[in-house]
Amino acid sequence: MAADPHDSSALREQVAENQQTIDRLNRDLARKSNDVRIIQQISSEITSTLDLDEVLGIVLRAMDRVLGFAHSMILLKDLAADVLRVAATRGYADEGAGAQVLLGEGVIGVVGERRKMMRIGNIGASMRYLKSVRARMEAAGEVGPGEAPVSMPGLPDAQSQLALPLTVKDRLVGVLVVESRTPNAFDELDEVLLRIVGNQAATAIDNARTYRMVEQLGRLKRFFSPQLAELIIRGGADDPLKTHRREITVVFLDLRGFTAFAETSEPEELMGVLREYHAEMGKLILAHEGTLERFTGDGMMIFFNDPLPVPDAAERAVRMAVAMRERAAELAVRWHRSGYELDLGIGVAKGFATIGAIGFEGRWDYGAIGTVTNLAARLCGEAKPGQILISPRLLPEVEPLLEVEEVGLLAVKGLARPVKALNIVRLRHPA
Amino acid sequence: MDLLPDEIKPALQGVIPSHVVTCSRDGTPNASAISQVYYVDPDHVALSHQFFNKTKRNIAENPRAVAWVISPETFEAWDLELEFVRSDTSGPIFDVMEMKIEAIASMVGMKGIFKLRAADIFRVTAVRKAVGERIPLAEIPGPR
Repeated sequence: MAADPHDSSALREQVAENQQTIDRLNRDLARKSNDVRIIQQISSEITSTLDLDEVLGIVLRAMDRVLGFAHSMILLKDLAADVLRVAATRGYADEGAGAQVLLGEGVIGVVGERRKMMRIGNIGASMRYLKSVRARMEAAGEVGPGEAPVSMPGLPDAQSQLALPLTVKDRLVGVLVVESRTPNAFDELDEVLLRIVGNQAATAIDNARTYRMVEQLGRLKRFFSPQLAELIIRGGADDPLKTHRREITVVFLDLRGFTAFAETSEPEELMGVLREYHAEMGKLILAHEGTLERFTGDGMMIFFNDPLPVPDAAERAVRMAVAMRERAAELAVRWHRSGYELDLGIGVAKGFATIGAIGFEGRWDYGAIGTVTNLAARLCGEAKPGQILISPRLLPEVEPLLEVEEVGLLAVKGLARPVKALNIVRLRHPA
Repeated sequence: MDLLPDEIKPALQGVIPSHVVTCSRDGTPNASAISQVYYVDPDHVALSHQFFNKTKRNIAENPRAVAWVISPETFEAWDLELEFVRSDTSGPIFDVMEMKIEAIASMVGMKGIFKLRAADIFRVTAVRKAVGERIPLAEIPGPR
């Protein structure tokens, strides 16, 4: 039977198609073996450093230069809250560092919440579809009017995203995201590659983060109590040692009659009294979570609302001041029996201060600078034995708690007008 | 049998909406636009079930369907003949679909309102490239 010309053309077509398949498989294979080599290189790089920023940089650089993902970012899970924060980006005009995503929100948030990878290539189409469903449901009165759309870090018009949870022993460290404006930009092979790099990145990031925390903790413990240092670290707050401005409530205290006592007493006696006084006041500072800024012999300065913000700084300050007055009165009875005439005076003021590490290498202190500290010191200086003088600015917050009496006007350095001083007679509802 | 070729995968990513044709017990056809036909494996696809609709009702009466999907890269279209297998409300296929739907829903204020009820799994019984041709209604399988 003569060959049917249609058959031979069909055969040729089949051969051509087979060849195409073989070529494609070869290309895939070449890509795969190249990828394996590259991944080995990346993994040795990211495990070679304990610097968090460096680790993040290496991972994102590899995404771009090696795997060809031009837009990538790494978000880290906040240690205290259900929030992912952008820690590093590559391929964006705006760095976007610090932007937040709530767990469960958007592709990144859902990936973080479920700790499962997601590859999506139709974000635009899906959003349009859902918006139209929403519009229909709204028209039918089935749902209320739309909330403001959730804003996500990254490309505002991303069509494709590949998001990988970074986990260490099932604990979420962060999310690695690559994205593109092209629909269906990522395939299954990309998933595999990202997963391999991601697993190693997660461990490296976690190690670097732990290392940084231990280092920070060591540094903070030189300034704050160990408990406070750990609270600061766990809160994931910005570095408190960096200079910042914040409204604080400052408490100043010192002992009336201390200078005379210091001149006439034996050193052992003097230090004994001072230790007892510091220990008792120290307990009350810790109990009210105040920040002890400094000791100056018999004087102390404590402030509230920094480095840990508290909603009731003024209340804590006056409650601590009243507790200190009571405790000092008890101590004074004993001191009196030993022949020491010592009484506590306290000043409390509220206002903005510049706060941060003050000093020089080898001797750093955490300090606050501002008129508010001068005012508190001045009020303290004016306080008669057993008085707690507060500035009127505190009053709106603490008035319901206190019985106060006016004691007159005070001129204060740095303030144009004299300040009215109020003495705390007693707490209305002792804690 | 590996009926779904690799080249069809881009058409199963929901970039261009797909269409599904079903038939009620008495033979009344129904065509619906759906956002995505999901790729499961070389012989299965999944349709998302969010709302009870005519497609869902028809499948309960007559478990066969035809899906028309389009590649966003080449604009090639395929007809997939489908046979209903089961409806998943958990498991890996359901999870993957549900996660995507939740991610998008949360971005348009529809979290908890628009959610996946089930992933309806279909076996692919035939795949045809639909090169510029439409299928006459009479060829769509199903009882008349």
